Amino acid sequence: MITKKHISLLLSLLILGSLILAACAPAEQPTAPPPEVIIETVEVQVPVEIEPYPEGTELKILQWSHFVPQYDVWFDPFAKNWGETNNVAVTVDHIALGELSASLTAAIDAGAGPSLVEMVFAPPQFIEGLHDLTDLNLQAQELFGEQAETSKMSSYLPATGIYYGFSPGWVPDPANYDRAMWASVGYPTGPSSYADLLDGGKKIKDQLGIPLGLGMSPELDSRLAMRNVIWSFGGSVQDENECVVINSPETLEAVQYVSELYKSAMTEEVFAWTPASNNQGLIAGELSYILNSISAYRSLQDIDAAAADNIGFGPALKGPRGDQYASAHVWSVYVIPKYVEGPELEAAQAFLLHLTANYNQAVFNAKLYNFPAFKSTVPELDGWLTQDPFGSRPADKLLVLNSAWDTVTWLGFPGPANPAIGEVFGTNIIVTMMAEAAQGTKTPEEAIADAETQINAIFAKWRDAGLVGCK
Amino acid sequence: MDETVTAKKKWTDGFRFWSDREDLLGPLFLFPAVVYIVALVGIPFIIAMAYSVTDVTAGNTSLDFVGLQNFQAILKTDQFTQSLRNTIMFTVVSQIIILVLANILALILSTDFRGKWFARFLIMLPWATPIALGTIGWLWLLDSKFSPIDWVLRYLHLLGEPAALLGSGKNLYYLGRLELAKASIIVIYVWRMLPLSAVILMAGLTSIPQDLLDQADVDGAGFWRTLFQIKLPLILPIMSIALLFSLIFTVGDMAVVYVLTRGGPVYYTQILPTWAYLKGIESGALAEGSATALFLFPVLLAVAIMVLRFSRRTEVT
Repeated sequence: MITKKHISLLLSLLILGSLILAACAPAEQPTAPPPEVIIETVEVQVPVEIEPYPEGTELKILQWSHFVPQYDVWFDPFAKNWGETNNVAVTVDHIALGELSASLTAAIDAGAGPSLVEMVFAPPQFIEGLHDLTDLNLQAQELFGEQAETSKMSSYLPATGIYYGFSPGWVPDPANYDRAMWASVGYPTGPSSYADLLDGGKKIKDQLGIPLGLGMSPELDSRLAMRNVIWSFGGSVQDENECVVINSPETLEAVQYVSELYKSAMTEEVFAWTPASNNQGLIAGELSYILNSISAYRSLQDIDAAAADNIGFGPALKGPRGDQYASAHVWSVYVIPKYVEGPELEAAQAFLLHLTANYNQAVFNAKLYNFPAFKSTVPELDGWLTQDPFGSRPADKLLVLNSAWDTVTWLGFPGPANPAIGEVFGTNIIVTMMAEAAQGTKTPEEAIADAETQINAIFAKWRDAGLVGCK
Repeated sequence: MDETVTAKKKWTDGFRFWSDREDLLGPLFLFPAVVYIVALVGIPFIIAMAYSVTDVTAGNTSLDFVGLQNFQAILKTDQFTQSLRNTIMFTVVSQIIILVLANILALILSTDFRGKWFARFLIMLPWATPIALGTIGWLWLLDSKFSPIDWVLRYLHLLGEPAALLGSGKNLYYLGRLELAKASIIVIYVWRMLPLSAVILMAGLTSIPQDLLDQADVDGAGFWRTLFQIKLPLILPIMSIALLFSLIFTVGDMAVVYVLTRGGPVYYTQILPTWAYLKGIESGALAEGSATALFLFPVLLAVAIMVLRFSRRTEVT
């Protein structure tokens, strides 16, 4: 029989337990002040004549909260200064990147909202609700030279022949590895191929008990990591003509490789990751190798310089036949919804050209996280990568990011980022295919066949809508 | 002086007049609730119904009627059927657990003991916490590498040692293992809905006339007979209302799965609300997303009508 005494005792124990647990929580680490670096902020003016905008012209910018907070601190006054010079009232709102699609959907549906939206991925599924920015893109190419293919293919839809967005930049997604761990198993500069990754990763797990982490969870980093493997093994979701080719011997080889890598060098945590999990694991010394941008490293530099020194960066890994591809981590793709008209539309396009002309400031204030789509706009980039102005040790640690120019891909590679590719990405079909094979709930062949069925249905739907090629 | 008295009398008369006009006051008081429900539930619901039978996408909002094509398309996919299965399984299992635990909790909380108000406060906390915040707390508790639960288990030598009861691995990977991920989702649904159900049942228990319980006591009925033959039958109508609330909140919730697993590992914890979101919003297929979201509506409506009828029939007057 439960008595009052029993309940009171139980409550007291619960409270006592909570207090003990709270007392055991680790104290906050002291943080070192960030290095003070200053860049010349003389703005470059676009050599295009802009008519003064009529009184009352507004430019409402909605964009993702940058992973390097300094970028937003720079961007907001940069945009407002341009507005003041050109008689445009500029407002900038920052939201979490996961909310961008919902916000743009709502804005297009309502026919009102921001003038410019910066998306983190190619948003071709919105194309019918967006302005055609072909003229802007051609003008930018004329002014600033060749555009990086990863940016172009993330803002251009061949099936319609139009640019639905404008991409002034992209973000490399290098390998991040624990230098000490990889040196201890004979890879002082980290793995350079998927064979090395399997060999070294297995040795580290066996000898040190530390796994590596290529995610197979329904989240951003996992979706990109799994595509990197497929591309480097010679497979892809679609070919350059937008025909579905996922069910290929190359994809099968990639799926079998990932299954083996999982069994030899990973743990079940990779099925449950959030976008922050791999960074947290690497920083805590609990993962030997991940794929991610440099934002976590930049944060670590401010918190624990010695731990940051131990982080190394590597290029895209080579596949069995020497193919070497890695997706960009994210893209900066600006779109203008169709409800934006008149001077507001002109101002939005003019601002994008101004931002592109000054992209060296964007790259610098993003602490080299952002890369330019138009290389000519950031002539300082090679120098910064050789001598990192933000204190990397060794100073040229980030020079390896330059290799991304040759290996970077995009969603849909080798074809364009079309709406079907967007839906395949958004519904996690590729990570699920890999996870099913790795967990053994399906054979690699079954997992690929199931993925193919789903992908074919998605492609057929968007093809019927006239937004995907390969009839 | 006279003027003040007259004004006061006028006001009093007016107040009395309006206080007695139930025919006017009733609709007036109901009006804000109706506006709220129509604007925030009714209109979006009608829009979703319209979307589900058209070819609308995130970019093209023109509504071309396609009949039941979207429903046929979603029914053909494995992800949808798995989401439907998971939604039903999570709901049924969590409701059974909630009913049992809520009854126990309500019985305990309706007795007198020291610190009762504090216990009630603690038990209500999960319900008072915004669901997204509460789930983020759980995300940390169930973290693959840094779970405090794992830390306690390792401290108690139940995990992370060669002969440990829960295995030699350092972590249990709650959200990475297929069955553990499902169990974790159920635990959080229970944690979330238990307080509401317990408080509703507690209100039911306290409304049982004391003389009935005294009579049972005098007649020699023990704890279990009093519980099963007097208390539970009397609170059955209110219990069915608690069940209905909990059921609808659970079926319609997407925050728990979205924050915790986003439907993974594989599609093991995918449910209809998250699948509708991934399809409709993140992938731009608004029509299929709407069809997915609306799929359970007829079932829920039927369940709600059944439960309400049942509660009326079992009401003791």
